[in-house]
Amino acid sequence: MTDENRRITRGKFLARGAAFAFAAAVTGPGLTILSGCGGGSSSSGPLTFMQFYGPGGEVSAQSKWFEDAVNGWNKENETKIDLQYVPSQEYISGTKLQTAFSAGEGPDVFIISPGDFLKYYNGGVLEEISQYMDQKAIDDFYPSVMATRSVDGKVYALPMEVEPLVMYYSVKAFEEAGLSEADIPTTWDQLLDVSGRLKKGDRFGVLFETVPGYYQNFTWYPFMWMGGGGAVSPDGNSSDFDSKGSIQALQFWQDSIEQGVAPRQVLGSGGGDPIANLTEGFCAIQNCGIWGVADLRANAPDFEYGVFKLPVPPGGEYTSDLGGWAFVANSKGKNPEAAGQFCAWALGSMSQESVGRMVDWCTEAKSDIAPRKSVQEEADKKGAYDSGAMKIFREEAFPGARSEPRYPPEVYKPISDAIQACQLDGADATQQAQRGAQSIETFLESYSGAEIL
Amino acid sequence: MSVNPATQTPKKSREPEGKPRRRRLSRKHSEWLAAALFIAPDGIGFLLFLGIPILLSLGLGFFQVSGFGGYAFVGLANYKRMFVDPLFIKSMTVTLIYVVVFVGGVFAASLGLALLVRQKMPFVGILRSAFFVPHVVSLVVIGVVWQFMLIPQRGVVNQFLEAVGIGSVSWLGRSELALATVLVVSIWVWMGYYMIIFLSGLQDIPREYYDAAKVDGARSWQVFRNVTWPLLKPTSFFVLLVSTVTGVAGVQAFDLIYVMTQGGPANSTALSIFYVYEQAFQFNDYGYAAAIASFLVLVLLIATAGMFLLTKGGRFEVD
Repeated sequence: MTDENRRITRGKFLARGAAFAFAAAVTGPGLTILSGCGGGSSSSGPLTFMQFYGPGGEVSAQSKWFEDAVNGWNKENETKIDLQYVPSQEYISGTKLQTAFSAGEGPDVFIISPGDFLKYYNGGVLEEISQYMDQKAIDDFYPSVMATRSVDGKVYALPMEVEPLVMYYSVKAFEEAGLSEADIPTTWDQLLDVSGRLKKGDRFGVLFETVPGYYQNFTWYPFMWMGGGGAVSPDGNSSDFDSKGSIQALQFWQDSIEQGVAPRQVLGSGGGDPIANLTEGFCAIQNCGIWGVADLRANAPDFEYGVFKLPVPPGGEYTSDLGGWAFVANSKGKNPEAAGQFCAWALGSMSQESVGRMVDWCTEAKSDIAPRKSVQEEADKKGAYDSGAMKIFREEAFPGARSEPRYPPEVYKPISDAIQACQLDGADATQQAQRGAQSIETFLESYSGAEIL
Repeated sequence: MSVNPATQTPKKSREPEGKPRRRRLSRKHSEWLAAALFIAPDGIGFLLFLGIPILLSLGLGFFQVSGFGGYAFVGLANYKRMFVDPLFIKSMTVTLIYVVVFVGGVFAASLGLALLVRQKMPFVGILRSAFFVPHVVSLVVIGVVWQFMLIPQRGVVNQFLEAVGIGSVSWLGRSELALATVLVVSIWVWMGYYMIIFLSGLQDIPREYYDAAKVDGARSWQVFRNVTWPLLKPTSFFVLLVSTVTGVAGVQAFDLIYVMTQGGPANSTALSIFYVYEQAFQFNDYGYAAAIASFLVLVLLIATAGMFLLTKGGRFEVD
């Protein structure tokens, strides 16, 4: 073959180029689309369980618990389940879960907190789980915990834990300030006073969450409730956010900043991170949930700390906020029935296996109060709440506490704006509460979803 | 145009008898076809991954979208809502402040740096690299590092301020400072990139003009004002245009704000692009988010057209 014959002509080059471009244009996106369709939309194959614990999650014991639960199900059932891990920050504050649903590729099983319940329930993607449970098992869950996970008596989310909020304190900081257990504050005024005495050098006296978001609202709600405040009136038609209780709670958080005893910024992953804030000496007292016990046990086992229940305002009544994540099944997933059965099997059965699994979660993998009476009894028998911080959680913080509310975004956002404006921008608490109440009422006028609790 | 008979004749003789002669494209058409084929991969990619999504997004603004597959046509309701939504108005105000300060700041800083590193001095290459490096680092990493540096009382910035007697400041915890802080970081990230663009513009200015100015006894400021500045105007226009687009679209600011402030405190750093994100992915209101995004595109088009008109397409009065 001569060079002349081997040389490509302009015509051949253009023809081959056109063929290549056409092939690339058709097959490239085509394959992408096809590959996109091949995953979650297929009606066969294992169900997906999206969450932020495992496999390969941040805490090995928690990751293992999830793996064991799924392996146990997979051994006994034809419909298999695959764990799909998403880092917690991305799962809670990111777009992964939401965009999966928007694309029609939502996971078959996933976990939500009460704050997200209405978003998914009103979106029509939550499978009723109580249809796969015995009445005895349904009754085994604490009513206060289930209120925000049920609609018209039907259960749509099964909680795996109950997480009350308290105040953690550093024993060393207390001792340095000449304080003892007798000085533990029980009122808001005392808390500000003690925090002022604990403030020293680059250490703040007390720490509340400062980053706007669902978590900050979650930590602020008990302060609102303790003075009798609320966001949505019991009849669901108006807002009582401009009540005295809400205003004084907004004012209290503002006072903690203006008096210089609380920081305007928090360290690490935020106000729920005692390792970055409390153990590092950034603050002496920290508002945080029960998960802090497991965090401290795993990451700062030698750190000496104590906990006390949330102080109350003048004339107020103690309460706390019971957070916690719950299993839910996707009613528009590959196999809603199997997904719902899995949730009931894992957390909502009276079998010893199910009860034992929840005891393990609440006492070993994590440090939580149990959402079920039988589980709590078993955990009590194990002595998990006999001493230290867990004893205070069990005996003082949990009784009287109420479930995290299920406020939709349109209710959450005005409250968040009011908290931020008062806490960090020095705004007038009364004006902010009135503005928030007005926004919430405007939304309620056209709201038609499940009851806001 | 001359034709080489030596190349034409043998071709004719090679064509088989009786076979109809294949019609050839004219040179002009061949060039057009070649150009189209070269552009096609990018064009198809643009159409599939940007063009069609942009059109869909524009359409989405006329619907109420649940995020779970529910669509309801609402006409202009999302657009009407925008103008009575105090948070949207606030986000536009924050965006306006951000764009004005960012564009002005990054322009001045990058031009100053370009003039500095154009000088003949030792280690100028290292200096240029040092100014450019922030631009190639992940914005998430930059956000986290600055957040650490700005921690009240403990961060390196506040420790320095305390050492010189100013005292600790909560840069990201005060609504009156947070946006300014994010702006400083944004300018720091981008000034190296625009410095390189200005540097190439400066190097395009013929040396003879400077020599002539020197012979005429012009001082440094006079040289800058009468030689550098007028001849740098096309480059300046490019920098102004691109930095305005990135500022309004919030391309670089979103990551920083997401990591450093989450839009707070009290929405003081919630740019419009952050508000779009919040509406779409936190509140599931895709229709409203799409309407805001469309409005931002319109603002951007008007701003860009205005800049083109004012500067005669970047040529200013040069022509």
